[in-house]
Amino acid sequence: MSMSDRISSRLEEAFAPHRLEVEDQSEMHRGHAGYQEGGESHWHVVIASSAFAGQTRIARHRAVHAALGPDIMGQIHALSLDISE
Amino acid sequence: MSTTTAEAQIKETVTSNPVVLFMKGNKTMPQCGFSSRVAGVLNYMGVDYADVDVLQDQEIRQGIKDYSDWPTIPQLYVKGEFVGGCDIITEMTLSGELDQLFEQNGIAYDKDAAAKIREANAED
Repeated sequence: MSMSDRISSRLEEAFAPHRLEVEDQSEMHRGHAGYQEGGESHWHVVIASSAFAGQTRIARHRAVHAALGPDIMGQIHALSLDISE
Repeated sequence: MSTTTAEAQIKETVTSNPVVLFMKGNKTMPQCGFSSRVAGVLNYMGVDYADVDVLQDQEIRQGIKDYSDWPTIPQLYVKGEFVGGCDIITEMTLSGELDQLFEQNGIAYDKDAAAKIREANAED
């Protein structure tokens, strides 16, 4: 399974989002720290789910980090998140 | 240096400085786009803050992630409290929440500069 699919499936499972976009933005960071040939280092995720209702920004980010798990969080270099209800 | 020493050092830094940014590089020469964005906001808003370059100290680089239970750099602290990383600070700048946080904590900043950042990003 590609990294994109792994990220998507874990977020689908954890939050049943009504909106989910997972974008590999590694090419935007070519030559920067953490860039690797073949991409899959820098990710941008847009996620909207009622599961985030009433949570602070920090709590929402922590929930996404936890859902992705230490293996994915350890493999990617950067994760930019746009989280809403 | 042991982890405990790193933790003590971090605690000392975030409690003795009202605003602290743990970043890659320093406020005049950031070494990462995400650090650069947050330092840029604070610089532009004229906030007096301490910058800690985590690339200079491996213990602090790992220690700050453990301290806040947050996996990434940069990390902004106001009055000892972790506020967020690049995404959160960007969102709070644009929503005006960062202004409120500074006002509540008596941190001086340039209100006009903050408004200009929001104006420039108004199309979002």
